[in-house]
Amino acid sequence: MNQDKGVFIYQKEQIQPIGSSLYQEHLKLTTHIADFAGYLMPLWYSSISAEHRAVRESAGLFDCTHMGVLGIAGPEAAGFLNTVCTNDVSTISTGRAQYSYILDAAGNVLDDIIIYRIEEERFMVVVNAANEEKIKAYLNGLIKNEVVLDVNHPDRKLEHKPEIRDMKDLNNEDCRVDIALQGPASLNVLNGIIIDKKVFETVSNLKPFRLVQTEVQDVDCIISRTGYTGSSIGFELFVRPQKAAQLWNLLLEKGGRYGLVPCGLGARDSLRIEAGLPLYGHELAGPFVISPFEAGYGWAVKLDKDFFVGKAPMKRKSQTYDMEVIRIELPGAKGIRPVRQNDGVLDNKGVCIGWVLSSATIEAKQIALVYVQRGSVEEDTNVGIYYLARSQRQVQEGKKKNIKKGENADADITGKGVSRFEKF
Amino acid sequence: MVKEGLLYTKEHEWVKVEGGTATMGITDYAQEQLGEVTFVELPEIDKDVEPNDEVSVVESSKAASDVYSPVAGKVSEVNTALESNPELINEDCYGKGWICKLEMTDTRALDSLMKSKDYEEYLKEL
Repeated sequence: MNQDKGVFIYQKEQIQPIGSSLYQEHLKLTTHIADFAGYLMPLWYSSISAEHRAVRESAGLFDCTHMGVLGIAGPEAAGFLNTVCTNDVSTISTGRAQYSYILDAAGNVLDDIIIYRIEEERFMVVVNAANEEKIKAYLNGLIKNEVVLDVNHPDRKLEHKPEIRDMKDLNNEDCRVDIALQGPASLNVLNGIIIDKKVFETVSNLKPFRLVQTEVQDVDCIISRTGYTGSSIGFELFVRPQKAAQLWNLLLEKGGRYGLVPCGLGARDSLRIEAGLPLYGHELAGPFVISPFEAGYGWAVKLDKDFFVGKAPMKRKSQTYDMEVIRIELPGAKGIRPVRQNDGVLDNKGVCIGWVLSSATIEAKQIALVYVQRGSVEEDTNVGIYYLARSQRQVQEGKKKNIKKGENADADITGKGVSRFEKF
Repeated sequence: MVKEGLLYTKEHEWVKVEGGTATMGITDYAQEQLGEVTFVELPEIDKDVEPNDEVSVVESSKAASDVYSPVAGKVSEVNTALESNPELINEDCYGKGWICKLEMTDTRALDSLMKSKDYEEYLKEL
């Protein structure tokens, strides 16, 4: 037993941002480029609202080549993933994908992920760009027996030790990056570029969370019916980084007639907020240490599995949580001050019951994901929002800079609870 | 786009001086950075301001930007059209998107502002 073995701790390194695989293409299309998780990424091309609308009405193309892609293969792969992930990997067969979590031994969420079973013994795991290095360090730490697997049984050993590859690494022969094609016209766009009728038929018959490995105009491509926009029809295309620009340009060229536009991180965020999907660091983990149960994803944590890392503490969290993530709708016409992260959420008596986590202005309304007292906000329940002071003038007028649960305040704007998720 | 005949701050405000009145707003560069403006907090009429005092907050769905007074003066007029049409800042930042007018009480701070050519050079360095 390794005596120095401890609970996993990760120190993030400051790195100089690098361009994504599509950086050169973005430079031709927009000047609105910023550092996101160490990658220079487009914020928007035309405008956030126009790109958002395109995805709801026709289709949008997203550079997701910054997302971490790990390859886990071999006879040990499935067993390993079932030990380190909360969902049950054994229930997905080849050609299927699954949403899951990676926890540390203390039950903290290290990332939310999607696992793609490409072949029986070959998995692709897509992780958040901001968590990629942390997850690589963690999984390798587990394999090298450097971090604790089970706090109650510190000598518990990992039974399955597969090889983990960084699939974005160009030295890896099966390297992959993610481009997302989302929105109702996505299939029309794919029909325009997939020449082989049989291949197109297979793709058009893909059900949600299914995938196929194929070729699109000689570009080797894994196509999965997954996404992060709430679109009923949407795909992610995993291609070689060297081919990413070729596919990106081909899609934009052939997809324009169906209304396809490139979309930046701004629309990616407003679309996922509108759909109710969590973002790591906001609706998951983050300053409030939000668990999957609070986020509305208890179904992805299989507490009936014999063991997974973090199971015992997560089981306790499942029994005791008293806050939850809710989606609310507020007025958002031009001239209405937008709500922001950490603004207070008030009940109809003006008592603070929680805080705003994320928000977006969509047409003439705002959708916010808020963290509130469990059971306090249902569909159509009226809620108020207290804007925290954002300007000197507001501070002078007596506005608070932060608000605690249980404090009384006057609502600056009122709205109502809506369904936790929305499909488009 | 930089407009000739105006004065500029490093924080991307513009000022148009006509007699003792200074009209101000945010520059094209600033509105481009903010994206679609959804709300503008206007200053109160008759408010006394010193150079670098906050006079306004311009908010887009993703960011909020403080607007500072480039000179000393008293707020004499505000662009109330921005209350219902904040997008005027995106559409016409040097014209219909002006934010407020100041009756200047001390014009010395104007000397430290940039002329359009200097501001253009300044933008190139960003």
